[in-house]
Amino acid sequence: MSGVELLSAPLRMRIRRLPPQLINQIAAGEVIERPASVVKELVENAFDAGARHVEVDVEQGGVRLIRIRDDGCGIDREDLGLALSRHATSKIASLEDLERVASMGFRGEALPSISAVARLTLTSRTADVPCGWQVSADGSESDFDIQPAQHAQGTTVEVRDLFYNTPARRKFLRAEKTEFGHIQTLVQRMALARFDVGFRLRHNQREVLRLQPDAEEGGRPERIGALCGPDFLEQALRVEFEASGLRLHGWVGLPTFSRSQADLQFFYVNHRPIRDKLVGHAIRQAYQDVLYHQRQPVYVLYLEIDPALVDVNAHPAKLEVRFREGRMVHDFLFSALHRAIAGHRPGRTASVVAAPATENPAPLAEQPQQSQQPLFRVAETPQRPYLSSGDSETLGDLRRLYPASLPNPTETRAEQEIPPLGYALAHLKGVYILAENAQGLILVDGHAAHERITYERMKRQYQAGGIASQPLLLPVRIRLSRADADLAEEYGEHLARLGIELRRTGEGSVLVRSVPALLEGSDVERLVRDTLADLREHGSSGRLQETLNTVLASMACHGSVRAGRKLTVPEMNALLREMEATERAGQCNHGRPTWVQLDTQALDRLFLRGR
Amino acid sequence: MKFRILREDLLLPLQQVIGVIERRQTLPILSNVLIEVEAGRMELAGTDLEVQLVANTDMEGKESGRFTVPARKLMDICRLLPEGGELAFDVKPERVSLQCGKSRFILGALPAENYPNFEHGDPEAVFDCEAQLLRRAIEKTAFAMAQQDVRYYLNGLLLEIRQGRIRAVASDGHRLALFEDVVDGMPDVARQIIIPRKGVLELGRLLARVEGSASVRISANNVRILFGTFSFAVKLVEGRYPDYERVIPKTACRVVVVDRHELRGALTRVAVLSNEKFKGVSLEIGEGLIRLRAQNPEHEEAEDEVPADVSGEAFAVGFNASYLLDAINAVASDAVRMSFTDANGSCLIEDLSDSRYRFIVMPMRL
Ligand SMILES: Nc1ncnc2c1ncn2[C@@H]1O[C@H](COP(=O)(O)OP(=O)(O)O)[C@@H](O)[C@H]1O
Ligand SMILES: [Mg+2]
Repeated sequence: MSGVELLSAPLRMRIRRLPPQLINQIAAGEVIERPASVVKELVENAFDAGARHVEVDVEQGGVRLIRIRDDGCGIDREDLGLALSRHATSKIASLEDLERVASMGFRGEALPSISAVARLTLTSRTADVPCGWQVSADGSESDFDIQPAQHAQGTTVEVRDLFYNTPARRKFLRAEKTEFGHIQTLVQRMALARFDVGFRLRHNQREVLRLQPDAEEGGRPERIGALCGPDFLEQALRVEFEASGLRLHGWVGLPTFSRSQADLQFFYVNHRPIRDKLVGHAIRQAYQDVLYHQRQPVYVLYLEIDPALVDVNAHPAKLEVRFREGRMVHDFLFSALHRAIAGHRPGRTASVVAAPATENPAPLAEQPQQSQQPLFRVAETPQRPYLSSGDSETLGDLRRLYPASLPNPTETRAEQEIPPLGYALAHLKGVYILAENAQGLILVDGHAAHERITYERMKRQYQAGGIASQPLLLPVRIRLSRADADLAEEYGEHLARLGIELRRTGEGSVLVRSVPALLEGSDVERLVRDTLADLREHGSSGRLQETLNTVLASMACHGSVRAGRKLTVPEMNALLREMEATERAGQCNHGRPTWVQLDTQALDRLFLRGR
Repeated sequence: MKFRILREDLLLPLQQVIGVIERRQTLPILSNVLIEVEAGRMELAGTDLEVQLVANTDMEGKESGRFTVPARKLMDICRLLPEGGELAFDVKPERVSLQCGKSRFILGALPAENYPNFEHGDPEAVFDCEAQLLRRAIEKTAFAMAQQDVRYYLNGLLLEIRQGRIRAVASDGHRLALFEDVVDGMPDVARQIIIPRKGVLELGRLLARVEGSASVRISANNVRILFGTFSFAVKLVEGRYPDYERVIPKTACRVVVVDRHELRGALTRVAVLSNEKFKGVSLEIGEGLIRLRAQNPEHEEAEDEVPADVSGEAFAVGFNASYLLDAINAVASDAVRMSFTDANGSCLIEDLSDSRYRFIVMPMRL
């Protein structure tokens, strides 16, 4: 059998020290997976060197050439050899430094690793010397031949023929387009990390991306629009939240602006782009209840945290971090985002413009805020002169639809009074409420909106009422791993507060003795298992609450006005006022939008007016 | 094959057999009824592969043969024909024509050989009892069966024979109903079987109009019950039923005797303002009365009182009103006895005049 041969061969070998080039190739195996990984390491070095401009030139998807030029501090002639040697870095000197590292790099591995799997040339010039110096390397860390070279202040690293000497790796490379796609995504990710750095990306001599550096906050929306698409900012909520030494800022997409792919999710910890399970979980949980199933939220978020509280040395490519206070970070993220999403009400941001729009309205950050005006009004029929009751249309009604062309003397006064979702005009097809507000027309899906209102009320009532629990006549025994059983015991009190009472009955088993009364008849075992899995992974679980919410949501669905029932104008106005006062009223319980705005510009466009 | 049969002789058994035939079928032949004619007798069979019902009926004639036709269509035709009419069948391999007066119908037939065979297997325990005893056993317990619980064995009825007795037990994990009676001539074997929910409900329906005795034949994976002109068979649920005897409270420290109708009236009234999902109602049991209260999430409240004969200390306990109502509705006597071990323990509900059935309901913490 071949397995025997495989095992027997190395048994006879003596132990020996590996040559430096091979050591570097092994290290490259971890860090340099594909051309984009080279770009990542080199751009990080440019950031660490204080560069204001980074130029990335790529040929043939990065396999033939990657050249990165920066205008950072440069490397001293004497240090060039060291820069290309493993475990040599200018960024940390001690364990204390490592534990609070603020630079992107610290492992001192990137340059030697890359040089061991590609033909690398490093050219650099510091501020106070007459010329630059150049050196090539092959990972063997010897015979550095340093030559003078023309170069402005800064550093250029040229990487040719990636994986030329490691055919096994080369085989895993994808098509040129795919590899370049990865590089482009990476550069975008890095560009969102540092607004103060300008970028230029070229592929096969063609410019693909050019971003100016921006010291001011004001320039950010532009870069975000360029990278995330012009709609993003219109459809996003600004987040700015600070608590217990943590700061979270950035943008989260409205739940209705979700995507089928997780491709617009950018998260930075102290400017370092990361993908982290705990972060992902906290964000998903914040979107819970408002996101259509399987949809992916969109976000660009920056977490600022004392470097001593994150361990960045958790992943060779530094893609993951470990938070020293994972639970605290999770809760912080969840509550910041949950609050932002729940607080989104009509009138606070622009909503969907359902018209053949081509221009982008002003970005969200600059949007005049209407939140100053009271959001909640008594739900009475407003006695407005132009609003006749019932279905009869008057000339006044029609005139209100075209305020731009038929100026109305009451307009200015009226606009200040109009609540964000305006006043109802008619009920269309027994489903949609047509209303008018200061900006134009509003269309509301009456059933979906009412369902959300009922649901939010039920959640509030349920939470206020204390949790009724139903002890089981036939308790449910669950077999668990010992670790999970320990966990169940540890969180016993927490679970009991939510209505689940457990008793440890053995090393690997627990007995469920009572369940929340609302959940009787549901699959208790699965609920407990999933909850424990969450607790194990994230130190917290919203699962029980989610399941309770599902029950409340289906109750809400039954308790809401059916589509098809004709609503009167006072009923519709009452509903609009309730929507304005209800959290998450912008989405129905399944995450679909409950209302859209057709503003006067959109209406004008429909009739080609003003073109 | 040709034969004639009176409309009523065909319609009544057909209406029973239809009960086990599922409306929507992926296997076309399962929406058919299997008809076998032999020596002046007709046998109609329907199955959903879990449950099988065979009904016998008399007819004239000497011919014999088997065929299958769409069950619902045949029933609709019979139903709509005039009363007392006589149906003349002419059975061909693929088509069955029938005529009654001036009305004629041709139905598509499928070969009887293809009709799924319900394997009965060798009986391991056989006993006879009154059909009405079986009916009562189901009537008093079936309501407590679970519905689509992951503990699949709870979605059925436990039938236990032991020491000359028969027991029926059903529980959804929150409450339990138990019926037990003595059966003369019960063989000296002990067996526990679990009959699936659909079979239990169907059997209960069929037994409603049957007099006389029934013969029960339990085999390895099904049970067959013969009564009147019917033979009813159902596949058993595999698995062990939980040890229900452990949950039957043994010692009561508080006993309440209350008029069943009054308690039911008060429970129904206050439940109007309880949580619509779990119907929580609290009972304060004090000297000589029970005070019932309910509150819903909108903070609306209801309160009612019924006189009761209370022994033991005063205490308060919460219940899902529907569970309590199911149990007291199954009681036949005017007064019910509720026995409690402690406020968190289960409550035993009994009929004062008939000790054959008992109900256990778990209180709820409100
Ligand atoms: N673009 C650059 N500008 C200035 N110095 C650089 C640059 N790239 C690399 N260096 C120097 O070379 C060293 C080694 O780089 P690298 O192998 O990426 O390790 P690390 O970034 O982890 O320190 C760095 O510590 C830094 O001093
Ligand atoms: Mg580096």
